[in-house]
Amino acid sequence: MLVLTRKVNQSIVIGDEIEVVVLEVRGEQVRIGVRAPRTIAVHRKEIYEQIRQENLNAASVSADDLTSLQVRLADEGTS
Amino acid sequence: MTKTCIDSTRFGRIEVDEEAVITFSEGLFGFEGYRRFVVLCLDEKSPFRWLQSMEEPGLAFVVIEPRHFMPDYAPTISDADAEALGLDADTPTLTFVIVTIPPGKPEQMTANLMGPIIINAVTRTARQVVVEDDCYSTKHSILQELMKRQPEAREGTDAGTHAQSESEHRNR
Repeated sequence: MLVLTRKVNQSIVIGDEIEVVVLEVRGEQVRIGVRAPRTIAVHRKEIYEQIRQENLNAASVSADDLTSLQVRLADEGTS
Repeated sequence: MTKTCIDSTRFGRIEVDEEAVITFSEGLFGFEGYRRFVVLCLDEKSPFRWLQSMEEPGLAFVVIEPRHFMPDYAPTISDADAEALGLDADTPTLTFVIVTIPPGKPEQMTANLMGPIIINAVTRTARQVVVEDDCYSTKHSILQELMKRQPEAREGTDAGTHAQSESEHRNR
């Protein structure tokens, strides 16, 4: 990993179109600004990972899982 | 009209009009390589739909419109996402969330409210977005809410979908 030391309001550029700016440092928190084209998705990594993992879980649902759920819902509805 | 088809793993051969295909130009998180999907309705009485890949036979997700269990679901979408989808204030949209059903434990099913699928109903382009609200989780338990609302959800018709979803889209 490339490691660079930056001060507040200094930035790094990645390629021609992406700029990452250090906006503020307060204790253990760092506020970062990202300037990038709309087509480039920028996410907090832990949130990206959470959604990715949930998609992976959801992709393994079988047709039977949904059928058994619907049967259950129907049962609850009539009882 | 041009037809397109796939021999899906779960449902056998699916043949749909090309116009029914929804294009995710970025794919879904973890499935970035798959762009073309269709929404399958296998049971009119059920609020659940399947989002089936037209490129990978085995790739399908159970999805549901949040209005069936949480009528006040109102995710905030980033300007970048709205722009990528070509949305302005009066573009009709459809919102789905992906449902996870643990094998053998349907009562533990959850919906991913943090990463909904927003569809531009005009261009049929779609995007899984990360909502900018802290109140929505990736594992929102929906069985109880669904059972409470099932009767009224069944009465609802798809005609109300656009108006409902438009109000859900709040552009910052």
